[in-house]
Amino acid sequence: MMFRRRRPQSDFSEELQAHLALEADRLRATGLSEDQAQRAARRNLGNLTISGERFYESSRWLWLAQFTEDARHALRRLRKTPAFTITAILTLALGIGATTAIFTLVHAVLLKSLPVSKPEQLYRVGKELHCCVWISFSQENGFSIFSYNLYQHLRDNTQGFEELAAFQADGTFLGVRREHSANAAETYFGEFVSGNYFAMFGVSAYTGRALTMADDQAGAPPAAIMSYRVWQQKYGLDPSVIGGVFNINDKPFTIVGVAPPSFYGDTLRSMPPDFFLPLETEPLVKVDSSMLRQAGTHWLDIIGRVPPGANVRSMEAHMRVELQQWLRSHVGEMDANDRLILPKQTLYLSPGGAGITSMREAYEDWLKILMTVAGFVLLIVCANVANLMLVRGMERRQQTSLCMALGARPMRLVRQALTESVVLSLLGGGAGIGIAFAGTRLILHFAFATMTAVPISASPSVPVLLFAFGISLLTGVGFGIVPSWMASRVDPVEALRGSHRTTRHTGSLPRKTLVILQAALSLVLLSASGLLTEALRNLEHQNFGFAQDRRIVVNIDPVLAGYKPEQLESLYRRVHDSLASIPGVSSVSACLYSPQSGDSWNELIYMAGRPAPGRTEENVSWIDRVTPGYFETIGNPIVNGRPITEDDTSGSRHVAVINEAFARRFFKNEEPIGKHFGTSDMKYAGDYEIVGVAKDARYLTYNLDKPVEPFFFVPASQATVYLKPADALTEVRSHFLHDVVVLARPGAKLGEEQIRRALAAVDPNMPVMRMQSLSQQVSSSFGQQRLIAQLTSLFGILALVLASIGLYGVTAYTVGSRTNEIGVRMALGADRVRVVALILRGAVVLIAFGLLLGVPLTLAAGRFLGSQLYGINQSDPLIISGAILVLALSALIAALIPAFKASSISPMQALRAE
Amino acid sequence: MLTREETNRVALLQGTLDLLILRILVFGPQHGQGIAHAIQLNSEDVLLVDHGALYPALQRLEAQEWISAEWGLLSNNRKARFYTLTASA
Repeated sequence: MMFRRRRPQSDFSEELQAHLALEADRLRATGLSEDQAQRAARRNLGNLTISGERFYESSRWLWLAQFTEDARHALRRLRKTPAFTITAILTLALGIGATTAIFTLVHAVLLKSLPVSKPEQLYRVGKELHCCVWISFSQENGFSIFSYNLYQHLRDNTQGFEELAAFQADGTFLGVRREHSANAAETYFGEFVSGNYFAMFGVSAYTGRALTMADDQAGAPPAAIMSYRVWQQKYGLDPSVIGGVFNINDKPFTIVGVAPPSFYGDTLRSMPPDFFLPLETEPLVKVDSSMLRQAGTHWLDIIGRVPPGANVRSMEAHMRVELQQWLRSHVGEMDANDRLILPKQTLYLSPGGAGITSMREAYEDWLKILMTVAGFVLLIVCANVANLMLVRGMERRQQTSLCMALGARPMRLVRQALTESVVLSLLGGGAGIGIAFAGTRLILHFAFATMTAVPISASPSVPVLLFAFGISLLTGVGFGIVPSWMASRVDPVEALRGSHRTTRHTGSLPRKTLVILQAALSLVLLSASGLLTEALRNLEHQNFGFAQDRRIVVNIDPVLAGYKPEQLESLYRRVHDSLASIPGVSSVSACLYSPQSGDSWNELIYMAGRPAPGRTEENVSWIDRVTPGYFETIGNPIVNGRPITEDDTSGSRHVAVINEAFARRFFKNEEPIGKHFGTSDMKYAGDYEIVGVAKDARYLTYNLDKPVEPFFFVPASQATVYLKPADALTEVRSHFLHDVVVLARPGAKLGEEQIRRALAAVDPNMPVMRMQSLSQQVSSSFGQQRLIAQLTSLFGILALVLASIGLYGVTAYTVGSRTNEIGVRMALGADRVRVVALILRGAVVLIAFGLLLGVPLTLAAGRFLGSQLYGINQSDPLIISGAILVLALSALIAALIPAFKASSISPMQALRAE
Repeated sequence: MLTREETNRVALLQGTLDLLILRILVFGPQHGQGIAHAIQLNSEDVLLVDHGALYPALQRLEAQEWISAEWGLLSNNRKARFYTLTASA
């Protein structure tokens, strides 16, 4: 359409030639001679060049032609001033790169859908994050996690879903060994999924075939899908893997296919599944701890595909009815509490295109903070480059005014200056993409250092590139608009005048404003990084209630090695003896989970002699299971009574050690020793006798700013027989202790290899999942906070440097343009101190204004950080005044350099320089 | 530098010329030289349009799709670009 109208210049000239011929014909007819007629015709036509020019300007594509012209011109000019160009591009690259790096993460974690077909058609049943196992017949805020039985009920009774698939909410560690391989089993991460899982996502196998409903039948030959990552990294894309037999937890599975490279499962998480197994094979793999047949054990997420145009609300209503029906058919298995709130149980359908968004919830807050911080840095960068551009504009005043005097239109000059800014910012953006790539990789490395394979790619994707391009354009216009407007405000007369003689400091106001803005923003960033660092320091140096030195935590998985519950006691005894015999080991103890390991179990507490507890948080306590000597090994003092010892055997009375928080919560001022409590049901309320109280120790990796919650510890050697199958299963699972804590003697050096050898001596097939010092384990719980604090500090320092450069630039420019005046002043008797003071005064005023603007912004920023500060004062005066001091100091240095330079001006030289 | 009044005057002039051209074309297709001559005749030689100025105006009207143009032959075998009013004019 646009091109149809474009008429070649030659056609236009031809028309003019035709005109001349016709006009000459006419004139000849009026009696003029041939020669006269030709000349008259040409005269009547007027100026041909102007006509041609007008024709050219009427082109719709003129702006493009002019833009390329301006861009070429800008490039030429930028090449001529390499120092300016490199500084500006580097500054821009830092700002754009930082923002793009953070955006890459924001995009991957918060905005992106799963890499599956038509993700907008997916709906999740449930809206809460309810990982990973929930044993009850009620769920607050709607059912979000489901048992296999409930899933089957919903799947078979709901109309409207193309497919409704279920999958494990978390994963399972698997011991995997290829058939006939000489190597020992290796640990991989697997997920149990329903047979229609891949069909529901619309994902077909990369090679081989996907799982089908036929694989997900009791008695079907066990089949599994391998992830592309494992196929590539472990098996070098060997095609014989497909159809090959792999022993998974010592059960033979056939690998029927490989998932596509981009597919990371249903949940963006730091450890995507390596194997997908049908739900029906779960009893085969998990043996004694299988959950598949437990109707009241909820461990599955559900996502369904809804055809376009389906009424999701009415499907939701149907499913609520089905849920109620299902619950009513299980009334017999419920306790009184669940029965009471049964009618209130409901469920919700929520958009499922992004999968299960656990990472989104976990990282949303800090990504928002980082995005804001990066935005601030970009603003400062804009201000800095704008300042550079203004200086450049000042230097070009002569040329600009000459252009104006020669008839250049103001709009054209503005456009030219703006084009230069945009060209510069695009160059900066190009360099910024490189910085963003490196930055994202670095952040991913630090954020997920302990993880195997985060499915977040640092390489820029199309949306990220578009973002970088857009932000570069915006930046270019942002820092270019003022300088280019200033360029058009040049008086042509100035070209004729010696502009050096003018006293007006044209354009100093916008530059000063920019410096004020920079100072204010820097103060905000510096204070924020101070606050976050202080909050982190507080967290790390709090009293954890246990000792960290000389302790190593070894995470093992006896389930993978195929141990039965009845073999466990002897296993842990052998592990203890083998590790304790290493020279330099002081003591060894095992527990279900160690402090700050990330694991946690809880139970509703039934008190002997008190009414049945309501299902509320006040009646819940965390539970851990430990071997004798645990409290000494972990350095958790017993403040009352005794710890768990060798005397607590399977035959003796069941005992428990509680923490102080438990005593406070359930006994107030009563003496807890000798009291009884239990779990599961009122009939077990007399089960445990409290024999000791341990000092409060911080086990949980969250709520770090809140008081420690109630905990109780029970011996590994004792077990209660529960009637409810789900509780009986939990009791069995809780006897598989995962963490072995090894305490070294003071001064002894324990090697990781020694520990591995000692464990291999017990059972070479038992995998060591993880081994780290307890202090490492504690500090890795703060990884997220540390990363925010460090990145904010980095951005804060960057802001400080940029603001100082900005102030230096303004001051140096002032000195430069006042050389004359300073020379005169010195000739008239001003001494050096006065000159320094004169220059400093200007800088101090700017910074003072910046601080005045920055302090309220900082207070607002403190509120914005809110919960990330873990209870420290959001407007901590010490930190804010510290930030002010740092800013003032570096500003002073930035201003002193040009001030001293000014004071060394020789009056004679200054006056002669003109 | 253009002042405000100058800008307005140019706009007014352009509008008038456009109108003159359109009025000529009401009587049928015509080429540039013919239009120029007709304007001159119609105004009894009072309005002497600079013929060169006519073409950008024709160009503009064509871009606005008020008139369309086509190359054709005159009776004396000379080539000329004929302008016609379009339906939208």
